[in-house]
Amino acid sequence: MQHFALTIIGRDRPGIVSQVTEILFQGGFNIADSSCSILGGQFSMILIISNPAISTKEEFSDTFSPLEESNLSVYIRTLKPGGEIRSELEGELCMISVYGADKPGIVYQVAKELGDRSINITDLNTKLVGDQQKPVYVMMLEAMLPEDTEIEEVESWMEDLKQRLQVDISVRSLVVMEL
Amino acid sequence: MAVKEVLIYPDSRLKENCAPIISFDESAKQLLQDLVDTMVDAGHSVGIAAPQLGDLRRAAVVDVSKSKLGKKQENHGLLQMVNPEIIEKEGRQIVREGCMSVPEYTGNVTRSESIIVQFLDQNQQLQVLRCEGFEAIAIQHELDHLDGLLFLDRVSSLKTDLFRRKQK
Repeated sequence: MQHFALTIIGRDRPGIVSQVTEILFQGGFNIADSSCSILGGQFSMILIISNPAISTKEEFSDTFSPLEESNLSVYIRTLKPGGEIRSELEGELCMISVYGADKPGIVYQVAKELGDRSINITDLNTKLVGDQQKPVYVMMLEAMLPEDTEIEEVESWMEDLKQRLQVDISVRSLVVMEL
Repeated sequence: MAVKEVLIYPDSRLKENCAPIISFDESAKQLLQDLVDTMVDAGHSVGIAAPQLGDLRRAAVVDVSKSKLGKKQENHGLLQMVNPEIIEKEGRQIVREGCMSVPEYTGNVTRSESIIVQFLDQNQQLQVLRCEGFEAIAIQHELDHLDGLLFLDRVSSLKTDLFRRKQK
């Protein structure tokens, strides 16, 4: 079955989720995976959807026009076959917290250390907190360490970054208790 | 040795309240043995509760001593528990849990840090133990099964909750 990624974003207000999901429900869509949250003053929705009767986005993109009219931006991406299936990630989950005075490049520098070593970031949240005079940047990141990468190595890369960026970084393994 | 099939949600037996074991007969002993055998056979598992095998009696087994994380902490090895009850709880910790009966999903759950659990062991002796860390979490997770609760009923935060201000 053809799957699509649907992204919707707009000024936060009550009723966005019901407005969007009503259209999906009426149109016969399934929501496979989704993640929705408030970013700044914007509500953002990311969903993986499918409909057994639909194979191209042209067949349904018009059904979202009421959303556009209520100031929500809608984007549809057509997934390649198998694009809805999450690949099996092997390894140990690790959590990295980075926080400190706001400055350019915090996310990039940390992500580069991981990306250069082909370490997969599985989740990432950032937030600007504190008052306007003293903004504090907070970043929480989860990454999957491959078998041959020890948590101590990650700590040592982050130790260098801490000095360069003058921020606090802590790394810990995130144990999922399989019961 | 009887390794049983582990039930997967939405099997409705996982949502039942289990009955106390009144007479500690042969079938109760057999149940404990099946629980141990199935837990061991499942490799990664550190505990299992009777309803996961489709038996709606209050029995569960826990053994964290073989797990990578559990063996680093103080623990009581294999615990075979009949009519277990948590009689005291202390502290709070957030852990990410997964469950054999709910494959491919994990969630952050708030559990007590340290507990006192009371139960009849495989020799019908009353045991009262203080458990901490991973062992305490495993016991709380397994005992929830006896009340028809899955960890999904206890998920306390989405990952992004870290940023929600109304905390505390």
